[in-house]
Amino acid sequence: MRNIILEKIARLFLRVMAIFAILLLLRGHNKPGGGFIAGIIIATGFIMYGIVFGSAAIERILYFNTRKWMGVGLLLVLLAAIIPVFMGLSPLTGLWYIEKLPLVGELHLGTPLLFDTGIFIGVIGVILSIVITIMDVLKWNS
Amino acid sequence: MGNALPIILGLIFLSALLIPFLYPLLKKKLGWLLSLPPLVLFFILLGELSSLSPRQATILETSWGFLEGMDFTFRIDGLSLIFGLLISGIGFLVVLYASFYMAKYERQGHFFTYLVLFMAAMIGLVFSDNLIALFIFWELTSVASFFLIGFDHHLEKSRQAALQALLITALGGLALLFAVILIGNITGTYHISELIAQKIHLGTHHHYYLILTLVILAAITKSAQFPFHFWLPGAMQAPTPVSAYLHSATMVNAGIFLLMRIYPVLGGTIVWKYFLMLTGGITMFLGAFFSMGQKDLKRILAFTTISALGTMVLLIGIDTTDSLKAALVFFIVHGLYKGGLFMVAGIVDKSTGTRDISALSSLWKTLPVTTVVTTLALISMAGLPPMLGFIGKELIYEAKIQLPGFSWLVLPLGIGANVMMVAISATIFFEVFWPGTKKTTISIQHHEKEFSYLFLMGPIVLALAGLALGIAPRILDYPISNALFFMRSYSIDVHLSLWHGFNQVLLLSLLTVAAGMLVFLWRKPVTKAIEKVITWFDIYHLPSLFNRLIYNYLKIAGRNTQILQHGYHRFYLLTFFLVTMVLVGIQVFRITDAPLPQVTSNPVRIHVALLLLGSSLAVIFAVLAKSRLSAILAMGIVGYGIGLLYLFFGAIDLAITQFLAETVLMVLFVMVIYYLPDFAVLSTRVSRIRDALISIAVGVVVTIVVLKARFLNIEEPISGYYADKSLTEAHGRNIVNVILVDFRALDTLGEITVLTLAAAGVYSLFRFQIKQLKGKSKKSSNYESFKDTNSK
Repeated sequence: MRNIILEKIARLFLRVMAIFAILLLLRGHNKPGGGFIAGIIIATGFIMYGIVFGSAAIERILYFNTRKWMGVGLLLVLLAAIIPVFMGLSPLTGLWYIEKLPLVGELHLGTPLLFDTGIFIGVIGVILSIVITIMDVLKWNS
Repeated sequence: MGNALPIILGLIFLSALLIPFLYPLLKKKLGWLLSLPPLVLFFILLGELSSLSPRQATILETSWGFLEGMDFTFRIDGLSLIFGLLISGIGFLVVLYASFYMAKYERQGHFFTYLVLFMAAMIGLVFSDNLIALFIFWELTSVASFFLIGFDHHLEKSRQAALQALLITALGGLALLFAVILIGNITGTYHISELIAQKIHLGTHHHYYLILTLVILAAITKSAQFPFHFWLPGAMQAPTPVSAYLHSATMVNAGIFLLMRIYPVLGGTIVWKYFLMLTGGITMFLGAFFSMGQKDLKRILAFTTISALGTMVLLIGIDTTDSLKAALVFFIVHGLYKGGLFMVAGIVDKSTGTRDISALSSLWKTLPVTTVVTTLALISMAGLPPMLGFIGKELIYEAKIQLPGFSWLVLPLGIGANVMMVAISATIFFEVFWPGTKKTTISIQHHEKEFSYLFLMGPIVLALAGLALGIAPRILDYPISNALFFMRSYSIDVHLSLWHGFNQVLLLSLLTVAAGMLVFLWRKPVTKAIEKVITWFDIYHLPSLFNRLIYNYLKIAGRNTQILQHGYHRFYLLTFFLVTMVLVGIQVFRITDAPLPQVTSNPVRIHVALLLLGSSLAVIFAVLAKSRLSAILAMGIVGYGIGLLYLFFGAIDLAITQFLAETVLMVLFVMVIYYLPDFAVLSTRVSRIRDALISIAVGVVVTIVVLKARFLNIEEPISGYYADKSLTEAHGRNIVNVILVDFRALDTLGEITVLTLAAAGVYSLFRFQIKQLKGKSKKSSNYESFKDTNSK
């Protein structure tokens, strides 16, 4: 049985959650937020979407399967960890690039953001992998 | 020039890692490419050799390394040059040899990856100046050899041999790690050059015997000394190029290298001497003795390797300048002839399809070049002039004669082993190549002319090198005297020459050869007798004893696991809670200086109280609930309540995380619970009461801990530091997030890895089920559409 209102809401919910998550990810260093929280938030959007449209729909949006997303997340985290080694610092040292931009103000970019992004992607992958697996096994979609 | 050493070493490692990408592009040409770096290294080392001054070592600092004191520093001195030249030179030949030998094998890419990795690890091992780096390379050789020995992994025998080799050498590796850490802690440095420069000798330290035992354990497991010798004959399951490399220059010689390298720090004490003499002497004789009873050419050679390694250990144990010199020369001798002979075994195998010396005969006609080369190598093995082997054996005899006190025991053993060597050399030559035997001629599959010159080049070059060094041994004077300078810490002039004059030693040599020929002539009864001894020893057959040990170990481990991992979730929880409660409880009662807070009539904040009341009610409801869904929902209320509590006390990040995690958990629970069987109370009254008691006790303990912890200031809390540094050092105002991604990023890294593993676990548990489901639905849908079209 299709429920058009629910479908519309699920679509909208996913988008709002996605934007919200990215906002939280980016501002996480200074205000409440961060990669882990952002990851769970977008995952809730996906779960809602999956409950309405089925797990295959999540996989379609994700394009790559969830294991690959987990791998990408871990890879980014690892990258953020070892980049300082090539600068002659100990691993996981935060490296910062600070620039004053005309409109934005002072911009702080650094490996911790990369690290956080890795966690963000990794958490999405982990949660969705588990949820999709369970949905598949329990035949949630059919 | 030597500065290029780290770069070349890196290049070899890189080429090993790139093989999976290179192999599809190059196919047959891969061997050529891979043989280049070792060749370049060989010539660089030759250049170093010519400019080597007798009392100096070159230290190459690289800014590479991960931990304090664990940098990859390289050291070029006489000892490492001798080993490095042999490793790179034979490595070059072996790679080319393998590119022909392995041509018809599958998974060549894998093979070359392991082989090149093995070579690189060995080069790193002999040149590293840092003991920890040495250990890392040491373990890397063990791992690489595991893959090489088990290369034919479809054979049970190969897998078993590989596992055996790995277990034994890894045991030694662990011992080495402990020893290295102990040495580092005692002396304050891991650098061999510093240890030598400061003339540190640990002989008087009270941990000396522990360190010595560990180092010797490492060396004798790696170098296949009695009673760990049995992994080496098993290791001949590896493809022949690997055996050639493993026996001649790498792996088993690493133990010898370690003993020589560590000699200035640990060597020369009574225990060192006696222990090495004992194990070396036994191994030397046993190896030589058993090799006579074998039929397989490779197995014969493997046992002679054991004997040779025993000789080297024995010589190091004799511990005179002459004996150390002899050990170094003998290492070169052995590397040259053994590498060549193993390659010949491979050629014979390829040519006839068998390695059984009783089946082989008169290969002289079909393999003329090989015969000549083999003869040279065998002469070296038997210790006859004009090969380098003669010089080596003369030096060994000299060292043994001069041994004070024990020469009456060591000398006959040594002569006995050498007699066997002569006899074996003669036997191999006679049985395999000599045209005049009455044996039936064996069918030849490939003539020598059909082989690529690459295949024959290895043994030819090695045999010629042995001959050249035998005629002009002066080239070795410098590196050997340099190596001896660092071992004995005073300079020694070394003059090697083929002709020593007519003396006691030469007489012994003549005697040895004569006795060897006698044994050779009566080889049939001798072989039979030895075979009888071997079968008699079979009760103490070490490989099967070892296998039984491992088997029993696994069985006991399995039984333990069955007891501990019973599979009842409730009992796991029970164990966990009880143990935690007891451990924490003991601590809580031990700490008495933090009294429980007095009950005072503080104004109670009404919203907090309400929240706590609501959560408590939810818990009680969850316990008494009649359906799973309501119980889970009640637990959810508790979770949200805790989240709200965080919020009241200003921990916004924590609160958000708690809310979100609770939500996701709820969804998962609800998804799963829907499919569980109906809720029923299955536990008895007694167990329910027990569970209730335990949970109340846990709650009480946790409450006490929390109350006490508030008044317990063991040290200055770290939160102040974080609050101070968060913005200035880490550019962030949100302390929680800064802690997560910067201050304690390693923790986060670990956590995300654990999460990923958990997800991978969930997926792999259900993988097949999902595949089945998907396959079925596809099939049925096909069927449906088929039915549809039919009905239409």
